[in-house]
Amino acid sequence: MRASEDAEDQGEPSARREALLTVLRTAPPPRRRGGSPLMMAPAGETADRTRLLALGAGMVAVLLAVSLGGLIVGSVSIPAPTTVAILLHTLSGGWLMAPEWRDAYEIIVVQTRIPRIILAGVVGASLGVSGMVIQAIVRNPLAGPSILGVSSGAATGAVLVMRFGLIFLGAFTLHIAAFVGGLAALTVVFWIARTGGRMTPTRLVLAGIAMSAVLSALTSLLVLTSPDPQLAARVLFWTLGGFGSAQWKLLPIPVIALTLGLAIMLLQARRLNLLMAGDESAVALGLNVEQFRRAMFVLTAALTGITVAVAGVIGFVGLIMPHIVRLLVGADHRRALPAVAVLGASFTIAADLVARSIIAPLELPVGIVTALVGGPFFIWLLRRDARALGVTK
Amino acid sequence: MTIVPGALTIEDVSFNIGAARLVDDVSLEVAPGEMVGLLGPNGAGKSTLLRTVYRINRPSEGRVLVDGEDVWKRPSAWVARHVGAVLQDMPAEFPLTVIDIVAMGRSAHKALLEPDTGHDRRLIEAALELLQLAPFAGRPFRTLSGGERQRVLLARALVQQPGILVLDEPTNHLDIHYQLSLLRFIREIGRTVIAALHDLNLAAMFCDRLCLMDRGRVAAIGTPDEVLTPVTMRQVYGIEAHMTRHPATGRIWMMPS
Repeated sequence: MRASEDAEDQGEPSARREALLTVLRTAPPPRRRGGSPLMMAPAGETADRTRLLALGAGMVAVLLAVSLGGLIVGSVSIPAPTTVAILLHTLSGGWLMAPEWRDAYEIIVVQTRIPRIILAGVVGASLGVSGMVIQAIVRNPLAGPSILGVSSGAATGAVLVMRFGLIFLGAFTLHIAAFVGGLAALTVVFWIARTGGRMTPTRLVLAGIAMSAVLSALTSLLVLTSPDPQLAARVLFWTLGGFGSAQWKLLPIPVIALTLGLAIMLLQARRLNLLMAGDESAVALGLNVEQFRRAMFVLTAALTGITVAVAGVIGFVGLIMPHIVRLLVGADHRRALPAVAVLGASFTIAADLVARSIIAPLELPVGIVTALVGGPFFIWLLRRDARALGVTK
Repeated sequence: MTIVPGALTIEDVSFNIGAARLVDDVSLEVAPGEMVGLLGPNGAGKSTLLRTVYRINRPSEGRVLVDGEDVWKRPSAWVARHVGAVLQDMPAEFPLTVIDIVAMGRSAHKALLEPDTGHDRRLIEAALELLQLAPFAGRPFRTLSGGERQRVLLARALVQQPGILVLDEPTNHLDIHYQLSLLRFIREIGRTVIAALHDLNLAAMFCDRLCLMDRGRVAAIGTPDEVLTPVTMRQVYGIEAHMTRHPATGRIWMMPS
């Protein structure tokens, strides 16, 4: 290799070299207006694109399969064909499949199971995309949504309401309290990280960790000093998460938040890529890093806050899914973000399925399942990273 | 349309952090197509000065002009289209491939949602081939050697298509073979270059002019022959030096004694 380089370096510049240099000096042709704004893989070759399409189709198939599984399995056993028939009937607005089943079955499937799966999917997708963006913001692939302190803040908010019986905002008081708690924690983390001017990734992470520790302690204190012996059990829902409260009227806000949030992130995908280059390089590549990081921080925090408000703190989804997705499709956010949404949704739906069936008719908090799967995976990642660093250093 | 080398003017620039004056009233003009080497001992303010050009450090006083426009009054994307920087930032945290990183150079040219076009791909491929990186295109960046990484970052700055290149210690961690081929390549592409360099003889060999900095100020500026003298070596580096000429190139050559 060196011999050929030497020949090229020291010899007369070849015609090929001259041609390549000319390419680099050629400005882009004038921008075509109204061209199709389709997103393409960077410098993608056809083989690469085919592979990506196949991967995408596979991921969607997995999502559909686990959703169907979640629909069929439950504490009340409904024959699988009946469940599918009810689903088709509902989806077609009563046009397909004449109802030959018990009304109770239809109520269970339509009023309980379908919204539960949608909620689990939306929460998983939200956690996945939030996790991916947060990792880019703090430029640390070992960060996750909980790093911002939003999750613990939300749990504390919910526990405060339960502990003191502050049900003053009606049925959604708990959800509102959780959201407000999350945002309050975020504001403090934000303020700590910004002290002294620049908001650096390290400061953000450290502020988030400190905040989470304090809030977890506070939550435990509230629970342990409570006169209500049942409180500990009810608090579990917030600290370990669950989709048991799913109902149709709970869905609009998380669905809208996910749709908007993901749309904004996809619009900013190129800039998110630049964050991975390092702060100084990102500026040199044309990004207003400070401002962009702040905006993305608020966006992911809001998304995480809403997630926690509807389903409690579900760990490891936002930490692990981005890794798996990067292994599959690479780190470019233009492909990784849609992929992590689909994979995150599949993972939480599957985890919920396990949580419901392992000790049926009782339910495990879904956070236990995600942690049992995610924890070991995380440890494996750490060890693999340590080994990889050991090789290059 | 052809990308032409830009003009860089650093005009009475000072930069303070608190009470410390890291750059003190520096003025420097780099003409289109010229390569100027920024020299000086550690802590002389070379990197700090370069940071005012690619918009990290806002000058406390003075202005930085690119093609007559104040970089601190233009949007960051405009600056990125005119000034490319090769820094010591190594994006090794994420499994980015070489092509992912080089493609980042096109960002400042892109509107929202605009896909990579055939032109972008031709640029990226040309840069990869010129820097002998084509075989590494799909490889994760973090598996590359120091020299390969440095070339990837240069390729990224090239597809940015700037008229001016800012290089902060571009030959760091490179063996002598790659130091030479990198600097030769940088001369060959015909852009305006300002580079912080440590090796005085390499600087004398490749740069049109040198700017020697000492404790934030300009100690000497001019052709290599004017800047590299026994007097400046004693003043700035505190060393006794003997000056001679390279027998083949005729460029000035500093020998410490």
